[in-house]
Amino acid sequence: MAVHSAVNGTTAIPWRSSRKMLTLLEQLKGCQQAWCPGAPWDREGAHRAVSGTPTGSFLIVRDSAASQPSVLCVSGGENDAVLDYTIKTTGTVFQLSDSRLSFSDLAQLVFFYSLTRDVLDVALSIPKWIYSVTDKNKGRLSQLEPKTWLCTPPDQRADEMTQKEPSTAMCSIQLTSSNGALCIINPLYLREHGDEWLTHRVPASQGVALKRERRISSTRAWAGAGIQCKRAISLDQEGCAASAEGSGLTRAQSADSPHGPEATAEEVGASTGVVLRRPSREDVSTLPQRLSTESLTVMSHSNRGSLTSLGSDVQHGSPVPMSPHRVSWIEDGVWLAPPRPSSLLQPPSLELDSLSISSMEEEQEFQASSSPSHHPSAHRLADKVINRLSAVGQVLGGLVCPKQRLINRVQELSERKGGSFADTVKGFVEATLKKGADSDGATGSEFLQEVRSSLTTLREALLDYPEIQTLLDSITDLNELEIESLVELSLHKVAVKPISAHLYSCINIARSKDGTFERLQSKLLVLEKNEVEGLGGSPGVGVPDCAALDRIQQRWTRMHEAYSPNKKVHFLLKVCKSIYECMSANSSSAGKVFGADDFLPCLTWVLLRSNLITLQIDTDYMMELLDPTQLQGEGGYYLTTLYAALYYISSFQPRLATRQLSVEAQNSINQWHRRRTLHCDQSRRSKSRRTIRRQACRDRASQNPSTDPEGRGESEKDDDSVGADEAQQGAGGGAGLQPLSEEKEAEQEVGDESLTPSSASSARMQDVRNKRADSKTLWAWEDQQR
Amino acid sequence: MSSRGSGGRSNGTLPQTKICQFKLVLLGDMAVGKSSLVLRFVKGQFDEFQETTIGAAFLAQSVCLDDTTVKFEIWDTAGQERYHSLAPMYYRGAQAAIVVFDITKPETLERAKAWVKELQRQASPNIVIALAGNKADLAEKRLVEYEEAQTYAEDTGLLFMETSAKTAMNVNELFLAIAKKMPKTDTQNPTHAARHRGVNLQDPDAHSSRACCGGN
Repeated sequence: MAVHSAVNGTTAIPWRSSRKMLTLLEQLKGCQQAWCPGAPWDREGAHRAVSGTPTGSFLIVRDSAASQPSVLCVSGGENDAVLDYTIKTTGTVFQLSDSRLSFSDLAQLVFFYSLTRDVLDVALSIPKWIYSVTDKNKGRLSQLEPKTWLCTPPDQRADEMTQKEPSTAMCSIQLTSSNGALCIINPLYLREHGDEWLTHRVPASQGVALKRERRISSTRAWAGAGIQCKRAISLDQEGCAASAEGSGLTRAQSADSPHGPEATAEEVGASTGVVLRRPSREDVSTLPQRLSTESLTVMSHSNRGSLTSLGSDVQHGSPVPMSPHRVSWIEDGVWLAPPRPSSLLQPPSLELDSLSISSMEEEQEFQASSSPSHHPSAHRLADKVINRLSAVGQVLGGLVCPKQRLINRVQELSERKGGSFADTVKGFVEATLKKGADSDGATGSEFLQEVRSSLTTLREALLDYPEIQTLLDSITDLNELEIESLVELSLHKVAVKPISAHLYSCINIARSKDGTFERLQSKLLVLEKNEVEGLGGSPGVGVPDCAALDRIQQRWTRMHEAYSPNKKVHFLLKVCKSIYECMSANSSSAGKVFGADDFLPCLTWVLLRSNLITLQIDTDYMMELLDPTQLQGEGGYYLTTLYAALYYISSFQPRLATRQLSVEAQNSINQWHRRRTLHCDQSRRSKSRRTIRRQACRDRASQNPSTDPEGRGESEKDDDSVGADEAQQGAGGGAGLQPLSEEKEAEQEVGDESLTPSSASSARMQDVRNKRADSKTLWAWEDQQR
Repeated sequence: MSSRGSGGRSNGTLPQTKICQFKLVLLGDMAVGKSSLVLRFVKGQFDEFQETTIGAAFLAQSVCLDDTTVKFEIWDTAGQERYHSLAPMYYRGAQAAIVVFDITKPETLERAKAWVKELQRQASPNIVIALAGNKADLAEKRLVEYEEAQTYAEDTGLLFMETSAKTAMNVNELFLAIAKKMPKTDTQNPTHAARHRGVNLQDPDAHSSRACCGGN
């Protein structure tokens, strides 16, 4: 692309040549008068000056009245065309009117659009001479004229740059256009941390260590909480075992480094905090090389059609950076951290880090078989395309959604031969498949509660894995609970998917045994003739028509097909939304908003026209297997409502007082209490970030379900802790134990509830949504999991 | 119960705003205006804090006190007698409840009293209960005197206000009064507070179609 020639290759700064080198951003700021002159420069003047200059040359002119930057004039290169872009200024924030990206100062805007054209037709070109400006002569910058600014032919720079060896090119910005893929490194990150790591030839071990150290220190800086440090340390310790057994990587670790984020590269490099050593080629590997070879590996893998997790990374990532050149992924927030006061872009190494470790493992396996990258010519090739590939690698690192990478990584961990997590998962799956509702008289509910408890254990174990930790640390915009939720979701694919069919059949057996299905079927016959008014709905409320009912049935089907309880809730919410729409659309009183008075009857009406058996199974599945924190919020509300409606149907007694409960109903509710109480407690424990030893986990997985002491302890407490401090200890309902003669009382006792964790997951998801300012929730992400 | 994650991953650079989140359940007879009351609260004011939900039976809304943002997750219940037995599923774990009656229908106050009694027996021991005499705009049809409900509320230890979802009378006041009564010991991760400030990078509606990259 001719358009990109100006930014192709490596933009170099002779970093070491001066004691105090200015970053490009500082340089740009220094000469802002040159590219953003004040009066008398106007648009016409700028056009005249820019016209005929090399593509990408630009000036910004100010509004004559407000003196605010108003128009960006860019040389289009052909026919002396000059392209104008309006700059919007909101308070102290600048943005191009066509773009949603905002910048806190003009230099950042310019800098960004010199790296990627985004909404521009051409990327901005920054004159080459600016790179030679150092601390000493920076005073001259401010005296520059726009004419001087425009006079340097920018192509010259690109030519020079491409011939430079990476070892000598001290890069501040390394970027390449490879099939249109651009890599952008946050200038603010460079300003903060230096850019030496990009090209400085260090042994790979040191490079990685440096990188890792930086990651730790930087996350620590953001986290600003002791918990982060603690976790990093313990993980590193665990990392010795985990990575060694999994991949042959050895990881040596010294004491936790005291360096804060402001530590310079040299300092960090000198006191290596963590050493991640590769058995081969470590001395010749530079960071870019590593990236490039791993990219090679990646490409080879995908070429061979390999469906390794990294291969799928590529599949996910590669379509994105292709044309068109618009960096929609930045605007979409994949790359961007939530707005911070000082930085709009995420530090690049956070993204790269997680990619690299796994890729090195991939690489090793690959080398063991065919080893093309060991071949000298391959090496030369790697050198030649180093920038391209490193850019690709970096783009992939930045592009592949961290959440998707988490799924891939968890999958990888669970498949790794001899890995402890793989063993644990395997043990869990096998043990679960052996057990069932019919063993030892355990009810389906109790069995599922054990599964839930094991899932929580697995999640805790996962959170303790250094590889997962590394990845999670790169996701800086989620809090602890959101992280847990994310890991939970990634766990579903490896741990829940293999057992879901078995769980269905267990619920089926249990619900057949306890007569729920039978009751549902018989009550269906009684109730199905009811219109919504007969179910208590207010007159005139709309119900789904045939077409809508069909769509709802399809969603129920998809809900049943989903193995992840979270995914099921996602479909449940879709159904509920359809029902709401029909309630309003088919209502006789237009514009009325319907609350629970009408929604519950309408949902019941819909249920009576759906497969109640399957729905009961799915409801149990969700209720029992959802992480307890998810039982709140919107998802929790509608799941409760679904449960309630099914329960209403199955316990319908037309001739009796509606407020009395059958024994079965009491038992049902009582069970429900117990589950939640149990889970509450687990969740609280998990918050204390208790490290769960894998051995213990394995033991537990092979244990007989009825010997779980915690579970039993909880259920015992159920009966005696009425009035206890519920925030601490859920007071379980004693409803099931009430004699039938006290029906009214019993009904009241049913309400004896425990509190669920207030950390509502749905709310949390809304938080995520809000923070990322889009409507893609974890649910949506979860869509992709299947 | 209102404890949130202690924010180990927060970036810690923003001033601390306490965010407390509470589950609030709405009880009361059918058609006393439970949903209208909440809709008035959610849609009427504080637009900036409004969160979208799929329907009116579950709504979330935040109110700002001095140094605290109190977020309510509002669980509506079906008021029909036939669904009464389902209510415990809804009010379990609720830290606040609004029991609504219709000042034009005395029987709804009786029902409200039954709810209050049940809540005081069954719900969380520290639950904050508010009694709302709704439809106060229908003064000419009033059949429940203010004093009667007021006396009952005092005797029972409830917050009490007469409200009108139609005119918005006392609606925000009611929720504010509840918010003030809530224990605010726990804070939420400060990053949550961050979303209300800082540089606005995106149009709020510009991202509805975003899918995570790499779907297969």
